[in-house]
Amino acid sequence: MEAILKSDLHAKDTHAPAKSAIFWRPTAQTGLISWLTTVDHKKIGFLYGVFALFFFLVGGFEALLIRLQLMYPNGTVLTAQQYNTMFTMHGTTMIFLAVMPLSAAFFNFIMPLQIGARDVAFPRLNAFSLWTFVAGAIVINLGWFMHDGAPDGGWVGYAPLTSKTFAPDHSIDMWVMGLQLLGVASIAASLNFIVTIINLRAPGMTMMRLPVFTWMTLITAFLIVLSFPFITIALVELMMDRLFGTSFFEVSNGGMPILWQHLFWVFGHPEVYILILPAMGIVSEILPTFSRKPLFGYPIVVFSGASIGFLGFSVWSHHMFTTGMGTMATAAFSLATMAIAVPTGVKIFNWIGTLWGGHISMRTPMMFALGFVWMFMIGGFSGVMHSAAPADAQQQDSYFVIAHFHYVLIGGSLFALLAGIHYWFPLMFGRKVSEFWGKLSFWVIFAGFNITFFPMHFLGLNGMPRRTFTYDANLGWNAANYIATIGALILGVGIFIYFAVMVYTFLKGEKVGKDVWDARTLEWSLPNPPPEYNYRVIPTVHARDAYWYNKQHKEEIAQEEAEHAKAEAAHGGIHMPHQSIYPFVASLGLFIASIGIAVIDHDPSPGFWGKKIGLSMIGGVVMLAGIYFWALEGNEGYHLHPDDEGHAPADKKAAQH
Amino acid sequence: MRLSSLLTSTARWGRAGFALGALALLSGCDYNFWRMDGHQSTITVAGPVARSQLEVFYVTCWVTLVIFILVGGVLAYATLKFRAKNEAEEKAVPPEQGHGNPLIELGLIGASVLALVIIAIPTLKGIWYTYDVPEDRKADTYEITATGYQWWFKFEYPSEQIAGTGALTTGNELVIPAGRPVRINIRTIDVIHSFWVPKLAGKVDMMPNRANFLWLQADEPGYFWGQCAEYCGDSHAVMRFRVIALSPKDFADWVAQQTSPARNVTPKPGEETPKAQFASLRTFKQNETGITDKYEIAPLEAWKAKQFPEKGENAALIAQGKALFASKTCASCHEVRGHGAAGISGPNLTHIGARSMLAAGLIENNAEQLRRWIRDPGSVKPGNKMAKGYLDNNIKLTNEEEVALVAYLQSLK
Repeated sequence: MEAILKSDLHAKDTHAPAKSAIFWRPTAQTGLISWLTTVDHKKIGFLYGVFALFFFLVGGFEALLIRLQLMYPNGTVLTAQQYNTMFTMHGTTMIFLAVMPLSAAFFNFIMPLQIGARDVAFPRLNAFSLWTFVAGAIVINLGWFMHDGAPDGGWVGYAPLTSKTFAPDHSIDMWVMGLQLLGVASIAASLNFIVTIINLRAPGMTMMRLPVFTWMTLITAFLIVLSFPFITIALVELMMDRLFGTSFFEVSNGGMPILWQHLFWVFGHPEVYILILPAMGIVSEILPTFSRKPLFGYPIVVFSGASIGFLGFSVWSHHMFTTGMGTMATAAFSLATMAIAVPTGVKIFNWIGTLWGGHISMRTPMMFALGFVWMFMIGGFSGVMHSAAPADAQQQDSYFVIAHFHYVLIGGSLFALLAGIHYWFPLMFGRKVSEFWGKLSFWVIFAGFNITFFPMHFLGLNGMPRRTFTYDANLGWNAANYIATIGALILGVGIFIYFAVMVYTFLKGEKVGKDVWDARTLEWSLPNPPPEYNYRVIPTVHARDAYWYNKQHKEEIAQEEAEHAKAEAAHGGIHMPHQSIYPFVASLGLFIASIGIAVIDHDPSPGFWGKKIGLSMIGGVVMLAGIYFWALEGNEGYHLHPDDEGHAPADKKAAQH
Repeated sequence: MRLSSLLTSTARWGRAGFALGALALLSGCDYNFWRMDGHQSTITVAGPVARSQLEVFYVTCWVTLVIFILVGGVLAYATLKFRAKNEAEEKAVPPEQGHGNPLIELGLIGASVLALVIIAIPTLKGIWYTYDVPEDRKADTYEITATGYQWWFKFEYPSEQIAGTGALTTGNELVIPAGRPVRINIRTIDVIHSFWVPKLAGKVDMMPNRANFLWLQADEPGYFWGQCAEYCGDSHAVMRFRVIALSPKDFADWVAQQTSPARNVTPKPGEETPKAQFASLRTFKQNETGITDKYEIAPLEAWKAKQFPEKGENAALIAQGKALFASKTCASCHEVRGHGAAGISGPNLTHIGARSMLAAGLIENNAEQLRRWIRDPGSVKPGNKMAKGYLDNNIKLTNEEEVALVAYLQSLK
């Protein structure tokens, strides 16, 4: 935080006064208001990261309780109901509140820097995405503090278990409305990223010169935009069933619970790639940097990412092999699922090709990235085993599946995200994590992870079903469960070391200069931490791995930059957008309305529905007010004129844009 | 959560650390989990469907293992070989900035596709084989309907019709003829459940509004463990069942016994007053296991022994239990054919005494466990409907009444 704030000091006293009292433009540079009103993609990315890491720790704590309950047969740490709540919230939290927003943190912070942009295309929409995400996260977790309790319908929320008949309290309503808000946040953010990547690339940054992480951001954003509408529909239908007595999933009136599964997994399978593609992008940045070589087969890595995105929409029913789809559908989805292994395998070959012949520096980010490749391979192979439908009939909903997707999501997504934090930490905060502590945390996490999840393959093959709060001692599951719990505790220690070291480094770590890894992409050409306007001069890109090229052609680039700086100064300096409170207001409105819809009881007295409708309407009005004021306050900004050291006096009067 | 139990667990961790090493290396049959021969193993299978699924699994396993060794080998080699040994090497002139090699890429893509074809062929064969009984065996097929309830299983035998009541109905213990294909119709009354007997066949979900089915066959007579495999609410973890495969003659005997009405034990004149000791029941720990060693060692024999009347039956006590079964409203949910009890929302108890397990495969069917179950069903099985029924009808049982009900239910062979 300190580091980010410092970047603002360069632009001290430079903000124009507000235009009018109604359309008040906040100018606070420190304190709560500055964070609530920020439109700077780096600050927003930082906030995404902070919230994601908080929920990551919450989800991790839930996981530890789950493992303690299963440490011994007939465990009594949790009751059945508490256990069911834990695994529901663990899944929901880790997927929607930890891994996705952590990816979003990188999209926000890194992607605009990688394409040589000064911000995302719609800075205020970006703030709206952030605060709507926070609102959704709060709504989902409200149940912990209420009589109804947190949701316990499983993260997949299969109808009819989530219907009013079988889940009469409000916990499922909170789950539904929370997920809806997260969907709004994700779609808004993704549209923003798509427009940014298509439109705000620096001159010369052609699509086939985009850094792979930016490519994966683009593909992920498209996946989110295309897949979230399905779960939105499913959740609306479930909400209608629960609140208004419709019969989408109501069996007694001819509703079809299988419909929920199709809608959920048409979203849910692309979601898997939404979680893993950013990770693949991060690894595709780290491996070349630390091998000091370009990515092997760049176009094939990009196209395989895109084809994973396409194929990801054609395999959803492999989550439903046991629902009785019949032979032909089962065979089709089985083969489509196998097909997706090809582009995935191609990525692994290319990562190995990148290492081949390189000068590999074994730094902490590289350790996590290599750990990712190994663990993701194992997760991929157990995925191939699932694709064979007859084998999956035994593995489905057993601990074998648990092992598989934790290899993909922890060994895959999380390892890459942890690698990314280490990798970009010097750029974000100007400090570097100690190699010793970084590597130590890697090895503890790596060991703990494998001790936890490898035995689960055996548990699954030995017939242990998932989502079970207890098991008998006579089934041959005791040892594996015991070892898994010990592993989980080791993993917990590893994560603790990792974050303790991060916090320490953030406050007191070794300060480093620019481009500490001798990296290849544009963001490393910036001073650290990057100033609020990012690039003093918008760079011109001459090659893939643009910054590497620039470092090889220092003189030409310096000359070119000087010319561009002059042109830009003549043009009026760097245009910066004003801060705004209205995105936050709009999100707050959504939050209030969700509470009204999800939490307030129907009032049975004559003033029928008064409180519920009332609160929802208030929320709606606040949201609309936020959006109108947001539109009417205009998109003005101000200009900065940074000198060669990056100090930036600005115009005294607001620029009319 | 209970803090005390967390503390207990904490105290165990110390011992746990010491035990871990020994645990992984030494083998008691319980500890070497890699043998994977538990009661619900998908590896030590006992029928053609599960065997076919296992064979497909082995193909995927070997193919991916070979790829893992090849790719992992190259990855390990590259990592070690090209690793910078010191700072000088890290800072050395960068290597050639090559961007890739299309021929290598195409070759590897081709090889991956080939590997997948090796997996795809047995997969497709397996999908069709495991779907339904093969044509040449259809004539020999025995049909049963399994229905999931929160949280137990009902089994109906459409080919064993009983005059006046319809198909033979049992609960939680599926008795099948060994050596014959059995086609099971998969239904549910409420939420989604899943029917899974790992040693005999992979699972098929019990979907509302969907006429699913599966087939399985037990090669030999045996006793098999099954469990619901789709999360279905509070007590999903303890929604279990058993499959008992019998030789054709045993199966015929079993059907004959089951199709007859509930057994009557009439007290002789002068024995109308029960003379039992009404000891209070010991307290059970939360989630305490309810299975004895005798049962564990030879479950099929234990099951067979349950088919005969208990020694030392107390006819007067049984008669008292029979009356209580009606007066305490048990009969409004449970059927006991021939005794005037005709409820249908709970398991059919006509021959409950002849089952080896209670509460959907959770606890052994003996006097102590049965009494534990009817005293406080909610503590044995969280959220279950019988506990709710007790609350709704304000039912309370004295020690004496518990013992009488137990005696009655145990007499229903």
